[in-house]
Amino acid sequence: MKRLVVLVFAALFLFIVSCAQKEVVVPDSGPMSKKEDTSKDKDRDVKDRSKDADETTSIDKDSIKDRALTEEEIRAAMQSVLKNIPFAYNRSDILDEAKPVLRKISDWMLAHKSVSLLIEGHCDERGTNEYNLALGDQRAQATKAFLVSSGVPATSMETVTFGKEKPICNEHNEACWSKNRRAAFVISR
Amino acid sequence: MKKISLINVSQLILLLLTLCAGSLAEGRVYIDVTSPGGRKLPIAIQDFTGIAEGPGVSEIIKSDLQFTNLFSFVDKNAFLETSDTPFNADNWRPLGVDAVVKGVFEGSSDSSLSVTVSVYDVVEMRNILKKNYSTKKNLLRPLAHKIADDLYEAITGQKGVFSTRIAFIGYDSAEGRSIYLMDFDGQRIKKIVKKNSLIMRPHWSPDSKRLAYSFLRKGRWAINILNFDTASETEVFSSKGTNLVGDFTPDGKDLLLSSSSKGSPDIYLLQLNSRVLTPLTYADTIEVSPASSPDGGHIVYVSNKSGTPQLYIMNSDGSDSRRLTFEGNYNTAPEWSPAGDLIAFCMMTGGRFQIATIKPDGTSLTVLTNVGNNEEPSFSADGRYIVFTSDRDGVKGVYVMSVTADEQHRISPKNIRAFGPSWSHN
Repeated sequence: MKRLVVLVFAALFLFIVSCAQKEVVVPDSGPMSKKEDTSKDKDRDVKDRSKDADETTSIDKDSIKDRALTEEEIRAAMQSVLKNIPFAYNRSDILDEAKPVLRKISDWMLAHKSVSLLIEGHCDERGTNEYNLALGDQRAQATKAFLVSSGVPATSMETVTFGKEKPICNEHNEACWSKNRRAAFVISR
Repeated sequence: MKKISLINVSQLILLLLTLCAGSLAEGRVYIDVTSPGGRKLPIAIQDFTGIAEGPGVSEIIKSDLQFTNLFSFVDKNAFLETSDTPFNADNWRPLGVDAVVKGVFEGSSDSSLSVTVSVYDVVEMRNILKKNYSTKKNLLRPLAHKIADDLYEAITGQKGVFSTRIAFIGYDSAEGRSIYLMDFDGQRIKKIVKKNSLIMRPHWSPDSKRLAYSFLRKGRWAINILNFDTASETEVFSSKGTNLVGDFTPDGKDLLLSSSSKGSPDIYLLQLNSRVLTPLTYADTIEVSPASSPDGGHIVYVSNKSGTPQLYIMNSDGSDSRRLTFEGNYNTAPEWSPAGDLIAFCMMTGGRFQIATIKPDGTSLTVLTNVGNNEEPSFSADGRYIVFTSDRDGVKGVYVMSVTADEQHRISPKNIRAFGPSWSHN
């Protein structure tokens, strides 16, 4: 039964999205886009209630279809612009070596005003679970603050911490730890 | 279930008068649990009779008592007295046994199954415990733990922990993270909350009827409370930022938590009925992991205002904060012992994480572990044991040790990556 509801909403959602894409000019606030938003929210709710969504965020393809960016552009941006920035052990202040990356990101964000960014804070394994979540939170927030000071609107960025729960490198050495101490950027709604 | 005490009343009064120490009011204390390295009490646990599972029940009771390291056991092959003959002290003196346990099951159908347990003092030739329990065949394991609790209390004057449980987070690749529940000995393990997202260490309410935990929902850290009485789950707090459960207050009415909704993580008190949120710290540094003292007067928490994470103690209203730890540059995850005399925490030493204890006045720092990385300590209800996470055998698991660092062993199954243990209070 639940699955049926999800399918119905998903179908409805796809239908509306594909309709919206046919419109050459899509006004930001029109009856069409409003309708689309509500169906999108409902869809998310149903999904979350039936099965808790995997929080490993990647590109939310559906939600960016109606944006100016194509998937290729997003992939290119992820590779050339939205690079991970490093942090020192147990610190959340922005390192000098991270600043050129962040400037490039802020330029790109200012050139793509419709894009929203999710900033993820991550830590290496040399910290305890709960404290690392707080540290990752502070890394993501420091990153966001730097981008805000470079002119990116605060409303276009969200932060989330994963602590040490999602390492990208699994060896127990500094080379690996330094890769894991990072803020990562994901294009979201 | 009625307790039939055969302790002679006049004898008890005499004891009370002569001992005058309030803690010994329960009767004779055969083992002083507070004196480490004391003599172990030699005990004989006879196979329980009446049903085929009887000897299995005796084995669980023995294993519970063995866990405490306070008893020694005589091999049952050496017993001179069979299980179904009446107690005779003369049969036990030659074996050097001080206490004898007998149990007789009656009835066989689930509706009428009961067991009568008797504990005898060989030296004084008297019955120190006689109790009848009604039960069901599928509940023999919890029954054995209950009998062990009563036995332990009759002999030591202290409450046993054999009926307590441990909640923890388990990970398997098929279903992601879930909250699991197991008996204190790692048996009867079951999955109680499935979440496909990140989920953090649960915390028990003082009555152990509720479990609070933090989890990641739609990019936000929310706090849920699971109620075992009503078998329901309620989200009690969510906001933007990182929201993490710290601890229930001793009255069970409020939740201490940390939240970064205003920028940096700070400590808050959440009233569970009114959902009123009161800030207790206002620093622009990291303040996390609050834990209440058992009397509710103080809160121990982690702050990095000195530049590294250290433990601090403040009054329960947030006033008079003082630094507790000065050794090492990474001290986190504090928990107060049930008696209030110790704080267990995780300390980085030699590049690895170890479990340590310290007195609330900052003295008597003791490191308890030295193999692998160890974190997330949680006390047993009697304060004698600590459950914690360790990666000493490669994969993360839940381990138990005595508060004096003895008998460190894994209790979670090897096939589950297990962490974030929390010991129930009853």
